[in-house]
Amino acid sequence: MHMRKMLFASVLFLLFALPAIAQRVLTGKVTDSNGDPIPNASVMARGTRVGTVTGQDGTFSLNLPPNAKALEISIIGYETQVVTIGASNTYNVTLVESGDELGEVVVTAGGILVKRRELGVVATSITPTQITQGKASNFAASLSGRVPGLQVNAVNGGLNPNYRLVLRGQRSITGNNQALLVLDNLIVPNNLLGNLNPEDIEDIQVLNGAAAAAAYGSDASNGAIVITTKKGKKGRSAIKVSQTTTLEKVSYYPQLQNKFGSGTTPDAVKTYTPYENQQYGPRFDGSMVEIGKPLEDGSIQRIPYSPTNARKEFWETGIQNQTDIALESGDDKSTFYLAGQFFAQKSTVPKDRYERMSVRANGTRNIYDNFKVTYTANYISNRYDMTTVTGSMYNEILMTPAHIPLTKYQNWRTDPFANPNGYFNEYYDNPYWSIDNWRQDTKNEYFQGNVQLEYKPFKPLTLTYRVGVSSSNAQNKSKVGRFVFSDYTKSISGSSKTDVAGSVSDSRSGSRQLVTELISEYRKKLGSNFELYVLGAGYMRENQSKNVGVSANGLVIDDLYNVSNTMNNPGASESNSLSRQLAVRGEVRLGFKDYLFLHMTARNDWTSVLEKLNRSFFYPSVDVSFIATDAISALQNLSWLNTLKIRAAYAYVGNVNLGAYALNTTFSQAVGYPYGGAAGYSVGGGLVAAGLKPEITEGPEVGIDFEAWDRKIQGGVTYYKTNTYNQTMSVSISRASGYSSLLTNVGEVQNTGLETFLRFTPIQNKNGLSMTIGANYALNRNKVISLADEFDVFNLASGGGGLVVAEVGHPFPLLKTTKYTRDPQGRVIVDRVTGFPSYDGSYYIKGTTNPPHIMGVDFELLYKGFRLSTIFEYRTGNYILNAVSTEFDFSGAGIRTVWFNRERFVFPNSSYEDPTRPGEYIANTNIQTRSGGADFWTDATRNRGVGENYTHSAAFWKMRELVLSYDLPSKFLGSTIKKATISAQGRNLFIWVPKTNLYTDPEYSHFGSSSNAIGFTTLSQTPPARYFGGTISLTF
Amino acid sequence: MKKLFLILGISMISFTSCDKFLDINENPNQPTAVNVDLVLPTAIVRAASLSVSYSSYGGHLAGQIANAGGFSGFGAMLTYRFTPGYYSQWESAYDNLNDLQYVIDNTEGDNYMALFNGVAKIMTALEFHRLVDQHGDIPFTEGVKGNQNVAPRYDDDMEIYQALIDRIDEGLTVINNASFPKNLGAASDPLFKGDINKWKQFANTLKLRLLIRMSGVSALSSFVNQKFAALEKNFLTDDALVNPGYVKDRPNPTWSTWGYTTTGNVATSSRVPTYFIYGFYDGNKLVDPGRGSVIFNDFGNASRPTPLNQLGNEVGNPPIRTGYSPWYTGIRESASSITDALGVVKGPSQGQPLMLAAESYFLQAEAQLKGFIPGDAKTSFENGIKASFRYLYKTVAGTVAADKNVDADFQKYKDDNSISYLVNFDEATTDEERLEAIITQKYIALNMITAEESWNDYRRTGYPKHDIAGNRYYNMASVTSEASTPDKLPTILKYPQSEYDYNPENVKDLNVFGDKVFWAK
Repeated sequence: MHMRKMLFASVLFLLFALPAIAQRVLTGKVTDSNGDPIPNASVMARGTRVGTVTGQDGTFSLNLPPNAKALEISIIGYETQVVTIGASNTYNVTLVESGDELGEVVVTAGGILVKRRELGVVATSITPTQITQGKASNFAASLSGRVPGLQVNAVNGGLNPNYRLVLRGQRSITGNNQALLVLDNLIVPNNLLGNLNPEDIEDIQVLNGAAAAAAYGSDASNGAIVITTKKGKKGRSAIKVSQTTTLEKVSYYPQLQNKFGSGTTPDAVKTYTPYENQQYGPRFDGSMVEIGKPLEDGSIQRIPYSPTNARKEFWETGIQNQTDIALESGDDKSTFYLAGQFFAQKSTVPKDRYERMSVRANGTRNIYDNFKVTYTANYISNRYDMTTVTGSMYNEILMTPAHIPLTKYQNWRTDPFANPNGYFNEYYDNPYWSIDNWRQDTKNEYFQGNVQLEYKPFKPLTLTYRVGVSSSNAQNKSKVGRFVFSDYTKSISGSSKTDVAGSVSDSRSGSRQLVTELISEYRKKLGSNFELYVLGAGYMRENQSKNVGVSANGLVIDDLYNVSNTMNNPGASESNSLSRQLAVRGEVRLGFKDYLFLHMTARNDWTSVLEKLNRSFFYPSVDVSFIATDAISALQNLSWLNTLKIRAAYAYVGNVNLGAYALNTTFSQAVGYPYGGAAGYSVGGGLVAAGLKPEITEGPEVGIDFEAWDRKIQGGVTYYKTNTYNQTMSVSISRASGYSSLLTNVGEVQNTGLETFLRFTPIQNKNGLSMTIGANYALNRNKVISLADEFDVFNLASGGGGLVVAEVGHPFPLLKTTKYTRDPQGRVIVDRVTGFPSYDGSYYIKGTTNPPHIMGVDFELLYKGFRLSTIFEYRTGNYILNAVSTEFDFSGAGIRTVWFNRERFVFPNSSYEDPTRPGEYIANTNIQTRSGGADFWTDATRNRGVGENYTHSAAFWKMRELVLSYDLPSKFLGSTIKKATISAQGRNLFIWVPKTNLYTDPEYSHFGSSSNAIGFTTLSQTPPARYFGGTISLTF
Repeated sequence: MKKLFLILGISMISFTSCDKFLDINENPNQPTAVNVDLVLPTAIVRAASLSVSYSSYGGHLAGQIANAGGFSGFGAMLTYRFTPGYYSQWESAYDNLNDLQYVIDNTEGDNYMALFNGVAKIMTALEFHRLVDQHGDIPFTEGVKGNQNVAPRYDDDMEIYQALIDRIDEGLTVINNASFPKNLGAASDPLFKGDINKWKQFANTLKLRLLIRMSGVSALSSFVNQKFAALEKNFLTDDALVNPGYVKDRPNPTWSTWGYTTTGNVATSSRVPTYFIYGFYDGNKLVDPGRGSVIFNDFGNASRPTPLNQLGNEVGNPPIRTGYSPWYTGIRESASSITDALGVVKGPSQGQPLMLAAESYFLQAEAQLKGFIPGDAKTSFENGIKASFRYLYKTVAGTVAADKNVDADFQKYKDDNSISYLVNFDEATTDEERLEAIITQKYIALNMITAEESWNDYRRTGYPKHDIAGNRYYNMASVTSEASTPDKLPTILKYPQSEYDYNPENVKDLNVFGDKVFWAK
C-alpha cells in the first residue's frame, strides 16, 4: 500500500512537476551477431528493478523509470551489454556471444546436448564460417590445422580430391583408422565426406577420443566427427545467394633438369637419338635437330635443341564455379531451411571435369507443445568425366625431353606428328592421346534423409526416435578406344608399338544404410545439490550393398562403347553384402552443485558379421568433469583466472574391422573356368581363425581447460593413452601351408599423445576492431607392442626401394628403405676401380610416415565489416618415399641426374676398402665413378634401387587458407538486401618444404584415403595445386 | 519413471529375440564349400598352366630362350644372381597342392570317390617333385595343412622323393582297389577324360621319371632297385595333354604365354630362341627341318631369318618380327585373324602337355640302357624321336596334320644326320654316348614344352653338352653370367621371399651357385 502510494505520488510528481521528461516507452530488438533474434533476453533499466524480457522475435518494450540512465541486456551465453539511454526511444542491440566456454551447449555422441561444463572429454567445435570461408568443395579441407589431434591428409590432387581424416594417430594396423562420420546424429558412410555441401553445415563437433565417442560402441575407436546441418530460425526469414569462382593452378612441380636432351644408355659418348624418351643425350645447344622417326611420306619434325617449358604448360588452369542458394524461415511452430548448390570443376588435367549438384530441405515443427518433429533430406548428384590413366599420362609427360614442344601434340586425330603413328617418342604414348583414349564416366547419386521425433510425455522425460537412411548409387563406364598402328609404323618400330584392342566396362553399384534409434532421457534434480540424468537407448543399423559389372575386351566397331560390341565373351561380376548391428546403451550423468559431474556410458552391441558365439560385446566408459574455479573459493579469488576445468575419462570401445561374409575360406572359379559348360572351383587363399572378435581400443584421457584475463586467453591440454589390441588382421603365412593369409586377432598398438590449444584475443575494441590469434599443437607417439607369434614385421606396402611396415617396438607406419653399403664411419663404400657405390638389398629403418608433431596457427582480424583470416599448418617428424622419382632418374628428367653435370664424379662422403688391409677403409677423394650419366643414374644397384636416395623428411609448412571478406555497410544496400559480402580467398597458397624434397606434396599417398600405408607417392597423384578465388554473397 | 522402465524393458525384449535378425552372414557371392568333382579339374588345369611357367624357367636356364632386342633391364635373368623367389613356382604350386589336398581330404576312405582320391594323390607327386627340383628341401609332411600349421617344417629332399614314390603307389592302390567307384568324366578329368588306364600309365611314367633321377644316388640304390622291380611296365604311349576346352578367349597357357593375347597382340615380345637350341635344327649341330620348320617362325628363311640371340647379349640383338612370336609358324593377318599352326605354339585351343609320350620313351630308353627295366634302349630311343615328331605335327585338335608324315620325316632325320650318334643310336660306341644321345634327344623333344625336365637332366647328367668356351651354338650360359660355378650356370633357386618373411624359423638360405638338389651331379 505504501509502495503504491509512493508510485502514485511519483507519477503525479512526474506529470506535474517535470512534464518535460514525461515517462518514456523504449522499444527495440535484441539480435545475435548473425542478425537472428534472441528471445528471453533480460532488458533491465540499470540501477532500477524495472525490466522485461524479449519476445520470440527478440523485441521488447519497456516503460522507462525516470532515473534510468542505461539499459542492461543480458542472457546466458552472451556478453552482457550496457546501452546508454539517449534521446531515441528505439534501441536495437546486438549481443556478442559470450566467451564463456563452459556455458556453451554442444552436441555429443548420440546426439545428446550437454553444456561444456558437464563434459569430461575433449570436443572441438568448428563454426560455419571456419568451414566455408576457404570455399573448398570438400569440408574436410577446412578442418586442416584447426583441431588438435586431427590429421587431415589430402591424399591426391585432381578432381574432388580425397581426404583422409584420422584422430589421434593410427591405431589399427590394417583396419579402418578414419574418424566416424555422424551427420544429424546418425552414422553415415564415409563416401558422403566428399559430397556434402559445406554451406549446409551449421556445426561440427570433433570428438577426438574413444571416450568421447563411446556411445557408438563398436564404431567408436577412431573418434567421431559430428556434423549438424542448418535449420531455419524462429522469426527470421532470409534468402541467401552466392557465387564463388576459384582458379586452380599447379603449384608444386617436381624439379626437372633442363640441360640435356634425348639420348640413351650407354653414354660414354653422348649421342642424340631423335625418337628417344630418355634424356641422356648431349647438352642443349640451340641447333636445329630432328625429332621422331620420319613419317610414311618422309616428313620429319625439326625443332631447336633447347629447353621449353612445355612439361609445365601441359597443366591447365583449373576452374571451379560454385553457386549457392539458401532459403530459411521460421515461426513459433515450424522452421525450414532449403538449400541448393551447383559446383563445377574443370581440372588441371586437360578434359577432366567434375560436377556436383546438391539440394537439401531441413525442417522442424512443433506438432504439440510436447511433440516436435525434425526432418532433413539431402540429395546429391555428381559426375566425373576423367581419364583412367593419370599415372601413365604423368609418366609420359615427365619422360618427355625438355626440348619437345609437348603442348603442340593435342590434335592427334588431325596432326600426323601427334597421332600415335607419328608421335616422336618410340616408347611412350602421346599424353594427349592417352587422355582421350582412356576415359571413365562416373555418375554418383547420394540420398541422405533423417526424421527425428521428440516427445516429452511428462516433465523430466524425453523420448526421441530417429530414423535415417543413406543411400548411394553409382554408374561407371570405362572406355578404351581401339587403335591399330599402321604397317609402316610397325615396320620401323618393331614391337614397341602394340595395337590397342579397345575395351569397355560398365558397372552399377548401390549401397544403403538404415539406422534407427529410440532414446529415452530422464532428467531430475535430487535435492538441492544433485542433478541426475539417465539415458536408455536401443539402436539398429543395416548396411546393404550390391555391385554388378560387365566388361568386354577387344572392340569390333570403333567408338561404340557397348559391352556387346566385342569379339570375345564379355566378363561379368557381381557382389552383394548385407550386415546388421543391434545395440542397447545407457548413460548416467550425476551432477553435484553444477561443478562436479560423473558420467558413465555402457553399450552392448550385437553384430551379424561375427560368429554367433562371439557377436555380443560390451563397451563401458566413464568421465569426470570438475570446474575448479566454481568449487574452490581460493581460485575464485584469483582475479586473472576466469574458469578452470579439470577432466578425466576412461573408455573401452571397439572397432569391427570386418565386412560381411569374412568368416570362411571361399572358393572361386579359377584358371579360365568355366570352359564351355564345365565348371571348376579352386580353394581360396584366405584362412580365417575361429572366434574372431572386434578390435578393442582402451585407455585414459585427462586434461584441463582454462580461461583467463577476462577470457582473452583460452587454452586446454589433453593427454591420452590408448592401447588397441585384438587387431583383426589378415596376416601372411607360409604359402607352404596351402594358403597365403590368415585372418586373425593379433597385434597391439599403443598411442600416447598430447593435444593443446591456446587462443589469445589481444584486441577487442568497442569500435569493432578485434584480433584473435590461435595455435594448437598435437603430439602423437605410437608404437607397435606386438604382432603375430611367427614374425614381428608386417608389410603394408612396398615399392621404389622402400617398405611401409608395422614392426614391433617401432612407430607405425614405419618406413624402411634400401641404403648404400657404408663403412663403420658411415661413409658410402665405393668400388676401388669403378668408383660406383652398391647396396645389399636389405631394408633399413628410416622412421614413421605419420607426423608425430602437428601444429596449426590461425589469425583473425575484424574491423568495420572487414575480416581477414588465415590459417597455417606445420607437420614434422615423419618421412616420405617418393617412388615417383625412380622414374625421373630412369628417364633422365630428374634434377638429381644433373647434380654432377653428367660428368664422372667422386661419390660424396665415400670411402673404399684398403686393398692391403681388408676391413679398413680409405676416404675417397679421387676415384671417380666410371660414368656420371645414364650408366650411373638409371642403374638399380648404383642409384635407382636405393630407396634412401628418394626418402626425405615429410615436414612442411602450409598456408592453408587466406581469406579477406568485407560486409558492405547497410547504407549502401537497398531495403531488400539485408547483407552483402564480398570475399577473396585462397587455399594452399604456399607450401614450404625441406630442400631435400624435390618431388611433391608430402601429404599425398599413393594408396588413397582408405589405406593405412601412408608415406609413398607415385605418378598417380597429379601435382599439387593452389586455389584462389572470389565470392559474392547476398542475403535478402 | 515407470513408463521409462517399461519402454526400456520392451526394447530389451525385442532385442534379445533378434538372433534371426542377425543370422544373415551366409555368403551370397562365393561358395564356402564345393563338391570335389568341381575342384579336381581346376587342380589339373592349374597344374597344366604351371607347366608353362616351369618350362619357361627351364627354357631360360637350359639354353632355349634368350632376351630379344628392344628391351633392357633383365637383371638376374642374365646374371643368374637370383633373388628370393626368382623363377620359383612355389606360391602357385602350393596353392595347387591345396586344391588337391581338398580333394584328398574330402574323399579319403570313400570307396565311391576312390578315383578322385587316387588321381589327386598322383597329381600331388607331380607338384611336389617339381618344387623339390627347383629348391631341394621343401615342406612336405607338415605342408598343406592349413590352420594346423601355418609355418611348416622343411623335409629333406631325398626323403621327399622316396615318399613321393609311396604317394604314387598309394594313389594307384586306391584306384586299383576301388569297386564300382564314381567315374571320372570329361568335365572332372580334363587330362584323360576318365581313362583310368591312362592315369595308371601316367603314374607309372612319373615313377619312372623319379626313379631314374634317384638312380644316380648311391645311398638310394637298394630303394631304387626294389621300386624298379615292382614298377608296372605300363607307360605313357601318347602325350598327356590337358584340355578343359581351351578357346580363343580362354586360351591354352602356352598360346597365351608364347603366342598371342586374347586381343591378338604378341604375348611375349621380349624373348627369342637361342642359337644353342637353333643349332639342333639348322645344321650347326644337327639338321632337322621337319621339326624346325613347325617350331620356329621363318625357319630356314635366308632373307628374313628367325630372330636369335645368346642369353645375356644386349648388343645388336634382334627384336622379334613385328606381330609374330618367334615360336609361331601360322599366319597372322590381323589381331582378329590368327590361324592355327603346328609345332609348340599351335593355337588357342591346343591341349597343354603335362608330359609328352616322347619323354616316356626316352625315360624307358635310359632305364633300359642302365638295366633297370627290360627292353631295347634303341627302340625306345627311336620311339621317343618319333613321338616328338608326332606331337609337333599334331594340330590343335590333337591329330597329326594331313600333310605330315612322321615316319618319313623321322627317316629323313636319320639320313640327314647319318654320322651323328645323337640321332643314329647305333653310331654311339659307349654307354656314355648312348646316354648323351638319349638326353640330347629328350632335350630337343621337350624344347619349349616341358623344358624344366631338360634343365633337370642337364644338372643330373651334364647333357646336352655345354661349353663355356664354345661359340654361341655350344654355350648355353648367359654371356653376362655372374655364376661362380665351372659351367657358369646356377644350381638351385632361392625360396620365395614370403618364406623368409613368414616362415623364418624353418627356411634356410640357399647358395644359387653351389647348393644342389640331392640328385644333381
